[in-house]
Amino acid sequence: MALTGRAGLLAALGALLVLIAPRPGLAVLGVCLLIAALIAVDLALAGGVRELRFQRSGERLVRLGGQVEAVLIVENPGRRRVRGVLRDAWPPSAGGTPRHHRLDVPPGERRRLVTTLTPTRRGDREAVTVTVRALGPLGLAARQGSHRVPWSVRVLPPFLSRKHLPSRLARLRELEGRHPALVRGQGTEFDSLREYVVGDDVRSIDWRATARRSDVVVRTWRPERDRRVLIVLDTGRTSAGRVGEAPIPLAGAAPQPAGGALPAPGWPRLDWSMDAALLLAALAARAGDRVDFLAYDRAVRAWVSGASRTELLSALVTSMAPIEAELVEADSAGMVAEVLSRARRRCLVVLLTDLNPAALDEGLLPHLPQLASRHLVLVAAVADPRVAAMAAGRGAPELVYDAAAAEHTQSERHKLTARLRRQGVEVVDALPDDIAPALADAYLALKAAGRL
Amino acid sequence: MTQPPAPQPAVPHPAVAQPAVPQTTATHSPAIHSPAPGRPSTSTSTSTSVSPTAKSLWRSGRGIVAIALIILAAAVVTLLLSSGQRQGRPLDPDDTSLAGSHALAQLLRDRGVTVHRVDSAAAAEASVRAARENAQVLVTGTAYLSEQEADRLASSRADLLLVGPVPYAERLAPDATTPEGGQDAISRSRDPGCFLPAAVKAGSAYLGGLTYSGPAGAIGCYPAGDAYTLLRYPQGGHTVTLVGSGDFMTNQRLAEDGNAALALNLAGTRPTLIWLVPSPEPPQVAGAQGKSFNDLIPAGVKWGALQLALAVLLVAFWQGRRLGPVVAEKLPVVVRAAETVEGRGRLYRARRARARAADALRTGTLHRITPRLGLPPGAGWEAVVSAVAGRTGHDTGRVGAALYGPPPADDAGLSALADYLDSLERQVKDS
Repeated sequence: MALTGRAGLLAALGALLVLIAPRPGLAVLGVCLLIAALIAVDLALAGGVRELRFQRSGERLVRLGGQVEAVLIVENPGRRRVRGVLRDAWPPSAGGTPRHHRLDVPPGERRRLVTTLTPTRRGDREAVTVTVRALGPLGLAARQGSHRVPWSVRVLPPFLSRKHLPSRLARLRELEGRHPALVRGQGTEFDSLREYVVGDDVRSIDWRATARRSDVVVRTWRPERDRRVLIVLDTGRTSAGRVGEAPIPLAGAAPQPAGGALPAPGWPRLDWSMDAALLLAALAARAGDRVDFLAYDRAVRAWVSGASRTELLSALVTSMAPIEAELVEADSAGMVAEVLSRARRRCLVVLLTDLNPAALDEGLLPHLPQLASRHLVLVAAVADPRVAAMAAGRGAPELVYDAAAAEHTQSERHKLTARLRRQGVEVVDALPDDIAPALADAYLALKAAGRL
Repeated sequence: MTQPPAPQPAVPHPAVAQPAVPQTTATHSPAIHSPAPGRPSTSTSTSTSVSPTAKSLWRSGRGIVAIALIILAAAVVTLLLSSGQRQGRPLDPDDTSLAGSHALAQLLRDRGVTVHRVDSAAAAEASVRAARENAQVLVTGTAYLSEQEADRLASSRADLLLVGPVPYAERLAPDATTPEGGQDAISRSRDPGCFLPAAVKAGSAYLGGLTYSGPAGAIGCYPAGDAYTLLRYPQGGHTVTLVGSGDFMTNQRLAEDGNAALALNLAGTRPTLIWLVPSPEPPQVAGAQGKSFNDLIPAGVKWGALQLALAVLLVAFWQGRRLGPVVAEKLPVVVRAAETVEGRGRLYRARRARARAADALRTGTLHRITPRLGLPPGAGWEAVVSAVAGRTGHDTGRVGAALYGPPPADDAGLSALADYLDSLERQVKDS
């Protein structure tokens, strides 16, 4: 049950009546009884809320930054008209508008209400409840009730780096030899023999075949195919740190203090890593490699394996969507063991983590040789542009101290990179906006060099 | 070398591009570890009402209702049991608490004194008339009296026993005076020190409070300083007795000393004792026409205010009723990754760690310029300094001091060092 402002207004007008009435005590009683009676009548004549039936339909998947319509169909099987307000409650970060719908359903009919969701955060958004307030004919009181109409919308990672895919695919085609420039070295896997034409590299002449055929025959090469790429996403505490500028503002950001000099928090490293992983997966799938995906902190958070080339990306974004950074130290030993048990054959293990000396020294570094001996390991990390900006600070002493701290952090990172490279591990360390293309380029370079 | 225009592949978003196609990832790749099963992207779902029904309301609320009823019943029972005893009213003949005087009233009744408990001056006057003026009026400091009532009481023919700071005492007993600037005497056991039979028979008693000195013919007892805590004198055909405090009459003190005897002797002088207690209603402050403020307000205004309060209640209920529940959401932590670096910078600043700061700046600069100088990473400092000096034309000593010298002495020196390192790096880069 709920009241409207009219009931209060009526009571206030009753006060005027009481003031001029000859028997004010009786007048108060009379006014109260009258209002109570009117409210009771209004409640009795209001449309029933409990019998209402609801159905939902609409999209269940939306890319972060996009909009999705959640359609709610209200059916009134009762005998009275249901007129009033409806609230389709969603979590705040689902960004549902409008917050309230006007509702007017005659008996036996149904109405379609559309709530437009503009999610501001990745993950699953569940509808909470549908609450209806059905006014009586006098507009004094209303029946109110809630219904649970389950529905969820999965907000997928936006895959913003897909703008880099065409240029990388062009590079890939060059490697594959569909490009007219056929040069030896653009591939390492033996493809076929063909007759020599002027312009071929003489080093690619296959003398044995030439001797058999009494014609000059050259070998052609093509890049390796059907290699395996395992993308490992570290979802531990270091992936929660926010870097860069959020291309799509994330909900849950702390409100900026007035006049604060601090920059707005950007995206978590996790989201930038996902972006890079998606570009790499798209590229590798086009290149004919098989891509597996593992998200791990202290347990397996997501595992995608054996998806076909066409299904790969949708499988990846669907499994990535609900992953959030866990505020625990990642278990590197467990991760290495998981990778070793899941990847039996040699593959490229792309480890998306942070080059944090404290975390890596105790976590990954002792276990890396075990991994590097069986697989080719590529560590990709998102650098913080804020640190680079701090390192350039000059002038005031506090800026110089900050710059020194930033230089310290950067040199630690350089040392760590050098140590990793000495162990035969490839390292990609790039700013948030560059990490996805940089990782793709590193993959292409490895492919061109035939190291997969 | 010319490149044919490579067909630019359209790169749709993987999952959003085809909304009508069911998400079949779960069937195609059963190994997906994903909390939500693959569901069709367009489907319907049924609804269930979560509003409480009358039955569920009764079920969930009956415990609370039962507890409320038990509390209410206990309160009613306690009230009924204790309604006969007026608790917490000092010097009230019906009060059996320590501060009351039920014991004294009972003793007086046992001795044949009729004790009338009245709660207004008008009732007291009526009782005096009913007793044919052969009565004593006991007024304690807790009683309410107006000026006119005090005058009428003083002019009645009954004896007066004034205990403690009685209102309008100067009108009830105009001849008794309180010493100028005299402080209240401390309540303690005092000796009579007089020839008043009531006091002499009682002996020492617990007295104190106000002190009085009287006109000629007055008898003062239980002296405190120059004045007396008990004063009796005749006034126009009746006797006025003033006592400094009423502690000796309370249930707590009655059994001590000669308190009981003194109280009986003072209060039992006449066959009827009219005991004036404060009325349960606070007195109305009357204006010039004898009407209080409340009397002047029309009755309709009070009822109108009540009606307005009801209106406010209804408006509060209108505004307070929420449309559906408050939705809570688990939000991710928001922590900027650079916070640790900023914290380190502040630590440097707080501790004035110029040595460490300069070291970090030099390490960074060396890391960047060493490859440009064509030197191996582990090159010795002489080689680096001479290479930099040769490249930039700076003085070897100055370059050496900047790159490998002692830490700067103050913050200005640190800033200058940072600027100089920047210029060195820029010149090496540009050369």
